[in-house]
Amino acid sequence: MSSQNIAFLIVLVAALGFFSYNIQRLVSYLRLGKAENRLDHPGRRTWNLITIGFAQTKILREFGAGLSHASVFWGFLVLTAGTAEILLHGVWSGFSYEAMLPRVLWQLFMLSQELFAVVVLVAVSWLIWRRVMAPPKRLQGKEVHNAEAITILCVIGSLMLTLYTTGAFEYASEPALRATQFGWFRPISSGLGALVTGPPVATLQVAHDVSWWMHALLVLGFLNFLPYSKHLHVVSSLINVWFSNTSGPGQIGVMRAMDLEAEVEQFGATDVDHLSWKNLLDGYSCTECGRCTAACPANITGKPLSPRKIVVDTRRRLMEKAPLLAGELDVPGSAALLLQAEGGTAAFDNVLLDNYITEDELWACTSCRACVTECPVSIDQLDIINELRRGLVLNEGRFPEEVQPTFESLEINASPWAFSPADRAQWSEGLNIPTYAEAFAEGRRPDILFWVGCMGSFDDRAKKITVAFARILQAANIDFAILGQEETCHGDPARRLGNEYLYQMLAKGTIDTLDRYEVKTIVTFCPHCFHQMGNEFPQLGGNYEVIHHSTYIERLLDANLVPLTTEHGRTLTMTYHDSCYLGRYNDVYSAPRETLKRALPVLNLVEPARTESRGLCCGAGGGRMFVDEKVGKRINVERTEELVATGAEVIAVACPFCMTMMTDGVAKLGKDVSVLDISEVVAGQLLPSRSRELVAGD
Amino acid sequence: MANNILVVAEARGGDVRKVALEVVTAARVLADGLGSEVHAIVFGGAGIASVAAKLAAVGADVVQVVEHEGFATYNAEAVAATVTAQITGGGYRAALFGASAMGQDLVPRIGAKLRVGVAADVVAVAVDGSDIVVRHPMNTNKIIATMVLSATPALVSVRPGAVSVGGSAKAGTVQMVAPAMDPAAGRVKVTGVVMGGGAKLDLAEAPVVVSGGRGLKAAEHFSLVEELAAAFGNAAVGATRAVTDDGWRPHSDQIGQTGRQVSPDLYVAVGISGAIQHIAGMRNSKTIVAINKDKDAPIFKVADYGIVGDAFEIVPALTAAVKAARAQG
Repeated sequence: MSSQNIAFLIVLVAALGFFSYNIQRLVSYLRLGKAENRLDHPGRRTWNLITIGFAQTKILREFGAGLSHASVFWGFLVLTAGTAEILLHGVWSGFSYEAMLPRVLWQLFMLSQELFAVVVLVAVSWLIWRRVMAPPKRLQGKEVHNAEAITILCVIGSLMLTLYTTGAFEYASEPALRATQFGWFRPISSGLGALVTGPPVATLQVAHDVSWWMHALLVLGFLNFLPYSKHLHVVSSLINVWFSNTSGPGQIGVMRAMDLEAEVEQFGATDVDHLSWKNLLDGYSCTECGRCTAACPANITGKPLSPRKIVVDTRRRLMEKAPLLAGELDVPGSAALLLQAEGGTAAFDNVLLDNYITEDELWACTSCRACVTECPVSIDQLDIINELRRGLVLNEGRFPEEVQPTFESLEINASPWAFSPADRAQWSEGLNIPTYAEAFAEGRRPDILFWVGCMGSFDDRAKKITVAFARILQAANIDFAILGQEETCHGDPARRLGNEYLYQMLAKGTIDTLDRYEVKTIVTFCPHCFHQMGNEFPQLGGNYEVIHHSTYIERLLDANLVPLTTEHGRTLTMTYHDSCYLGRYNDVYSAPRETLKRALPVLNLVEPARTESRGLCCGAGGGRMFVDEKVGKRINVERTEELVATGAEVIAVACPFCMTMMTDGVAKLGKDVSVLDISEVVAGQLLPSRSRELVAGD
Repeated sequence: MANNILVVAEARGGDVRKVALEVVTAARVLADGLGSEVHAIVFGGAGIASVAAKLAAVGADVVQVVEHEGFATYNAEAVAATVTAQITGGGYRAALFGASAMGQDLVPRIGAKLRVGVAADVVAVAVDGSDIVVRHPMNTNKIIATMVLSATPALVSVRPGAVSVGGSAKAGTVQMVAPAMDPAAGRVKVTGVVMGGGAKLDLAEAPVVVSGGRGLKAAEHFSLVEELAAAFGNAAVGATRAVTDDGWRPHSDQIGQTGRQVSPDLYVAVGISGAIQHIAGMRNSKTIVAINKDKDAPIFKVADYGIVGDAFEIVPALTAAVKAARAQG
């Protein structure tokens, strides 16, 4: 072993040791979070890792930045193999892949190093240029750490350059090696080396060694900088993707189960140690790209919420609090001890809620899941927001005052609006629609429960949707019934507003009613009811097949069960607004569109700028229907402008909440555009019952 | 005369409040049923005796006037002591109060002094034999409890607005009564009275509410609504959430799920489509008039009277008609 080898060994051990210490420290901080099993569905999780992680599918949702990142990421995967060789070679000069691999493979390996370094260099140059010269809105403002980002990009660029200079000086200083070590497979090193002809060999050898050391030290420096920067995501994001909440069918967007009988002092979260370890890992994995914030309807319209800030604040607070909880007061030189020495008691007195994240930010959220959908590493910002809302409501009794009537009415009337349960089925008068009670009295068991929902029962506009859908079911001869006066709110609005206690009371009551009538299949036109009963009821022991009316009507049309007129009139230009709880929560994008096209084959269906999984929320989700919108532009107006810009004469929706918001948006803009539910479009094409009989008689 | 009914007539600013006339009307019903008299007791500063005629006009046989500078504002201790003394001394069958802020403060004090129960916030009174029967809504008006008050004296507070003013006129003999306790001797000293809402009529109390919605198209067009409200003279101005969220009106004007809940005698909805958000706040109004250009607007489902047409034509015409009607009488 040469003295250089020994020197490098010392450096390497120190660097890896320090990195390892920091990783252990960070892992120990995660343990402060609440336990949570994230080992279910390993196959699905691994698939996520392959697609979202290695294939970079979510990053590529934004093409330019996505391709640049993917280039750097894939480049790093390839180059890491080379880095390992370089580091081992530093300790033991005899180590080389050349000796281990068939020559062709080795040549290809060397070529891959040379070429991927170019790819990385180009990508990094573009990323630096963009940061400095043309940053997108999400990379502007006080939340963005530009200096750190540019430093990191420069380090990555320097790593590539020193890779070439090391090769070039080796070429220049060792003519004897050129025949075997250089050639077509090292085009750039060879080319650059050929240019260096002036200095004597001894100088070139020193230059080579300096270049090599620079490269190795940059690698180790970069490694040890990671735990202190937002670029920790290099270490954590693949792990984060594997553990992410996107795993498991029907699990998307499901709020955490909560045991209200548990003997705990804290429901929901007000500080980081009330969150789960996965929420904390989310904090490590955020590299502050801001795609969540750029997609956030609240943020877009000037509200105080930024999902990125929620995650970054979670990390910042963890870094402040964890050293105290982890007992690092005993560790000489620890951050906690330094804080204490500085007389900083803030760390002890602070909490995540209020000191970092304000109430106004939390209530601005529409729970639309655009942030979660956009996050390239599958961080769940919404989960943190939901837990903090629960903390606000269940622990501290803090919520916007205008929400009080909603909570009160849910408790008294089992509907967010103070209408009498006796009026629930008023819409059905004269329509000959049986209730479950009536069917049971006759000894019948209906096939399908038509769950009407509170909007469909009490809102006079939504009642027209109710009637339209009921007419379709009748026209298709479906054996269905309603619960009538026995229907109650399932509590979803309360749950989204953080009032888990009220939610569970209502949900359990609803499940009791459904089970009493042996209900198996439920259809509903409200995506919130659809999501709640289909995906979240299982937490409380309610298991039903719940189908949204978009899917159900599509199936009926597919099976030719709905008698439709073949007179379609003139071509209508229509656009469809995606409901968040149907789309991003449940991946139902094509059913409503297909339903529209089948009902009206002459339809000209146009898409707005933001559509499907990128669709903008109407503004009413997450309980926002029951909270005043006092700050910034109104979300429904922003969305309606976009829909109207398509030139559509009709805005089709598949949610009664979206219906209210879009109708108001159209009125605000003073446009002559009608807003229709997809079932109203279909019901408008139903054959009159008389001619239907004639058709049947043929 | 043990069956006489005593009414504590609430006065403010030298005049009796509407609720006082309502309670005298209710008391008249009981006195007529029992074949007895209504005695109204009123507290106030100098000159309060002048209200006796108003109380007599709706059915007070006797008006007891307690005139003292210390009663220029409500004085809980001295009023409670005086009323208690009157009930005990006069051998009344029942004492009626308005279930206003003052009444809600006063009745429990007197109930405690007399060690009798209180029928609070009732909406109707009647006589059945020798019993007094009252109705009290429960569970957000879904249940009406009927209570029979057989004990003497019965203490009853009547919900403001529940009884329409209009008993038969009586003599209204004025008796001057001395306070049973020196108002200045109490432990509570009123240093000033702060009235909420400035000169504006409070939305929840106004007998008429005129509301504007998105159909008004711009904030400045709210002058139409304000002019109509002014023409009524007793109307407050409300708005929908769309309008307050857009900043055309302050959030305190919002009527609906996330705003105020109102139930005036008359509700005029101008350019309001009638989304559930708004209906939830006004559907208990006694009479609803809707003006909207869209005949299919859901507001017409809850309206008693609907006018389909342009608010910019209809509202000024309505304002002129209301002004003309009030000018006539």
